[in-house]
Amino acid sequence: MSSARIARIDRRYLYILVFIFVSIPLLFPMKLPIPISEHATRVYDRTEALPAGSIVIEAFDFGPSTRPENYPQAKAHLFHVKELGMKVVALAFWPSGAPIGEEALREVYGSDFPDIDEYGETVVYLGYVPGAEVGMQTFGDNTATAKGTDHYGTSLTSLPLMQQCQSAADFDLWAEWASGTPGEQQVIQFVQGRHGGPTAVPLVVGSTAVSVPGMMPFYISGQIYGILNGLAGAGEYEFLLNKKYGYTYAQGPSLDAQSLGHVLILLFIIIGNIGYLLTRSQGGKS
Amino acid sequence: MIQDLFAVIFGVFATIFIYSFLWKENPLSRAVEHLFVGMAAVYTLAGMYDAAMTQAVWGAQRIEGGNYIWIIPILISLMYFFFFSKKYFYLYRYPVSIVAGIMAGMMICGMIQSNFLVQIQSTVTLPLIGDGVWEWSATNGYPGLNSLLIIIGVITALTFFFFTWEHKGALGVSTKIGRYFLMATFGAAYGSTVMARISLFIGRLRFLYETTYEDWFWAWYVIPVAVACVIIVMLWQRSKPEPKPPEPAPKPEKPKSKA
Repeated sequence: MSSARIARIDRRYLYILVFIFVSIPLLFPMKLPIPISEHATRVYDRTEALPAGSIVIEAFDFGPSTRPENYPQAKAHLFHVKELGMKVVALAFWPSGAPIGEEALREVYGSDFPDIDEYGETVVYLGYVPGAEVGMQTFGDNTATAKGTDHYGTSLTSLPLMQQCQSAADFDLWAEWASGTPGEQQVIQFVQGRHGGPTAVPLVVGSTAVSVPGMMPFYISGQIYGILNGLAGAGEYEFLLNKKYGYTYAQGPSLDAQSLGHVLILLFIIIGNIGYLLTRSQGGKS
Repeated sequence: MIQDLFAVIFGVFATIFIYSFLWKENPLSRAVEHLFVGMAAVYTLAGMYDAAMTQAVWGAQRIEGGNYIWIIPILISLMYFFFFSKKYFYLYRYPVSIVAGIMAGMMICGMIQSNFLVQIQSTVTLPLIGDGVWEWSATNGYPGLNSLLIIIGVITALTFFFFTWEHKGALGVSTKIGRYFLMATFGAAYGSTVMARISLFIGRLRFLYETTYEDWFWAWYVIPVAVACVIIVMLWQRSKPEPKPPEPAPKPEKPKSKA
């Protein structure tokens, strides 16, 4: 194939190839092995190390557009903290995160949520907390000031769990499921920094893969304790939970599909570079 | 419930219509795009309104309970609507300046602490010597080598942005190495972007292949109908004459130079 022909390949053929390569493992799972990353292991270990009765924040700061990546992460972690007998304060600093958070709670705590016995004692759902960064800082300083009622209109003063957590310093772990602003960086800037740093407000993050390179400086500095990296991170966490708690490892076919998709894109890059080098060697415009 | 069935059918149509954009932009992809933007805007608006009411109006400690201080933020917020008035547009600037001032004040403190001081501290305290620093681990490789790479990367990448001196000699070598570090960073960011986009595509495909309504109606039953709709609309679009591109605006006349 000449360099000119490589350059003229219709992009739509590439889309069809991506569709085929990604579809095959979804329809016929290949069960490829998955290495567990250090980032995911640290999220798991940190959660596992907390004693029963610890209070964990689950912040659903994403919308439907990144749901395939963030939702399985958040759901798996929610399952984990419930299994370990921890208390959960769930909320969303994104308006679009509020219904998704409620859905995750229903899946983990039962479809009757919030009409369950443990509501108010071991789990509370605050829903959307307004104000973005300002709301986050206010919540960190004084939970009741940020929002006076839970998602269902019940006053926080009548919820026993909320009496135990007046500010961010009272939480044992902040699990941030984020895909933008406000997200993990705002937790670091407006909550963690004001309440004693990473040791006082340990932060674990589940994020879209796009955002992870930007988070690495915060991970290396210890401001973020662990990261679930996109769909792969969700799969790794599910795999770890599956080994100990029998949690459904649902992302297996997705990770197979992702691996095959990446192989195809690598091939595209190699072919594209060959075309580029051929064009340049023939004296054409690079 | 029947609305669940409707949600499955509508979800399949919306997914296929949106992805038909990859083949060619068409009225169906545009319709779903506009629908998505509109729904997101309305949902956010409703959420914000509800939050404002529960935050400031309803409740014992709010306006309803006689705490009228909450009227002040409501009035400031309503001043945003002066954006639509030519006469009173200047009033719109007050809430904007209040929000900008608050954010600037908050950001300066937070950013300096978390993005500047802590980052410098963690870079200068990276371990290069000590127990286990140069021992291989399966998950982390050689921690000492990682530290060394970070230190070299930070210094050389920073020198790339020194524009006061010409990039020659030792500085030239440093900026060149810094450029390679920056290129590797952008490469990693590109790789992550590809990974994220494929993940979203996988999410949609799993919806199409696995979603079911009461175990008898599978989402993929609708795919041929949706694809047929796209083909029909594209054929109809092709049969229509191409709209003429707008004529370019006339060039402004050159001002005559004063003799």
